[in-house]
Amino acid sequence: MRHQCSISVGPARFRIGSAWRAPIEQLRRLYADYPGGACGNDGAADFTVRLEPVSPLRRLFRPSVAIAGDYMLPEAAPLALRHALLAAEMGMNLQMALGWRRHLLLHASAVERDGRAVLMTGQSGSGKSTLSALLGEGGWRFLGDEFVLLDPATGMVHPFPRMISLKNEAIGAMEAIVGDPSRFGPLLADTPKGAIRHLRPAADAIARQGETVRPALLLFPRFGHDRAIRPVGRDEAFVRLTQASTNYVTLGERSFAGLTALIGAVPSLAIDYRSGTEAQQLVEQLFAEQAA
Amino acid sequence: MTGQSGAQSRVTSGQMMSDTPETGPQTGSQAGQASADAHRVARRSLLLGAAATSAIVSIRPALAQTAGSVLNCEIPVPERGKGMFIDANGELVAPDTPGAFPPSPRDFTGEEVRQALRGRTLPGTSPEQSQAYLNYIRRLQAGQSGFTCYASLQMPGR
Amino acid sequence: MQDDEASRFAAVQADAILREPLDGFEAVYHRSSGLTHLLAEPAPQLLDLLTDTPLTVAEIAGQLEGAYDLVPDGEADIPIAEIVAHRLEELAALGLVLKVAGKGPGR
Repeated sequence: MRHQCSISVGPARFRIGSAWRAPIEQLRRLYADYPGGACGNDGAADFTVRLEPVSPLRRLFRPSVAIAGDYMLPEAAPLALRHALLAAEMGMNLQMALGWRRHLLLHASAVERDGRAVLMTGQSGSGKSTLSALLGEGGWRFLGDEFVLLDPATGMVHPFPRMISLKNEAIGAMEAIVGDPSRFGPLLADTPKGAIRHLRPAADAIARQGETVRPALLLFPRFGHDRAIRPVGRDEAFVRLTQASTNYVTLGERSFAGLTALIGAVPSLAIDYRSGTEAQQLVEQLFAEQAA
Repeated sequence: MTGQSGAQSRVTSGQMMSDTPETGPQTGSQAGQASADAHRVARRSLLLGAAATSAIVSIRPALAQTAGSVLNCEIPVPERGKGMFIDANGELVAPDTPGAFPPSPRDFTGEEVRQALRGRTLPGTSPEQSQAYLNYIRRLQAGQSGFTCYASLQMPGR
Repeated sequence: MQDDEASRFAAVQADAILREPLDGFEAVYHRSSGLTHLLAEPAPQLLDLLTDTPLTVAEIAGQLEGAYDLVPDGEADIPIAEIVAHRLEELAALGLVLKVAGKGPGR
């Protein structure tokens, strides 16, 4: 394709091809300090993502970006050109969700302190992504906001710190906290998911993204409810994690061993909260009390 | 498999036993206790359930996992941007090479390639062309576009 | 529900399944299908009872009664063996226990 960029994040490497220049330039800027530099065009990639025009004419006229690549969802609707950066990030998520087999993949965010990781899993809107961003600016090492990569053999979590996808109110909240404007991507105001703005993880998260971490606490966060802490039985935690995994069934026996080991080794708790601050306090408290 | 971990004992789950001492024999009225000593077995309660009510729940994959089947992955022949032709052995050659086939105008789905590996022809191709394309696919290495799709076809159970 | 040939049930080979007790349920991975199942009482206890030697439903129900204080689900007049038969059939359908149709002397 006309414009190319290869990006390494955690254990994965993506080759992004694009019919348009702008999203590649945005990726180059945001991923500048990642291993191998941004848009190194050498070396093998695990996955290819392609940002394609819906038809040749549509590259120039009312341009519309279709997300293509090694793995695709044929019914996915194309995005407007001004949202092409979002398309690139979604494309990378799609490749991981459908094609990554070296780890058990959980829809979860994660942060680390003192060599121990807190995993936060839940549906979209649970606040796990924003919570990981807040903690990442508050003394924790950010490990990822979309996927937790669990090595089923060792039980270790591999960091996967891509651009943090902030939505709606979380954008303003993080803009107020993060002093460096160059860490933000463009404001994408009217995407199908509302307003989105990408935030580059903190420097230590990027620099140390090769360091795996042992999980010590599993949280099921729920935004928009009165502050509460509830224990989660291991049976419930197990089922919820199988549903939160994109490749539990694909990996077969390894997943069973890996998930049962995780559930057996770390406490599982549900937390409800009404604000980011409340959530951070809950995580700090539970980490001090519960994390082995 | 993994054993019980002490980490869980700090959290009381609704399902877990009440905080009675673990040592020593239990009386028959201590419902739910499972300790046994050498001389007397205290029978614990067991919920039998109703005849027609299932006792088994099978884990169903979440939507993303079903979408991740080979039906949704594609293999370009050859990788985009190569501009080269494919010979009968599946190697990339110059466009004017006699007997070589042009790049496929469309990508093939994992399902189509799987069928072709079992003897069908790739859609829209002659038998010789299909063989050449399949040989190209078989030569794919990690890092080339379509490799992960092809590799997933090789997994047991596909 | 029992047929005249008195079906017998036995344990599957030890390495055919992986079992992991969780709180209140047991997770079981069935290797040849790649499926994971969650078993509630009394299914895990039935798995514990079965051995290589095929047993009839009546024999299995008897062992269960001997080992545990059985709590019926409010339907006190349904024979325990009938409930146990349903559970065993369910387990057999998923390949978690072996069903051996026998013409031997049943009870």
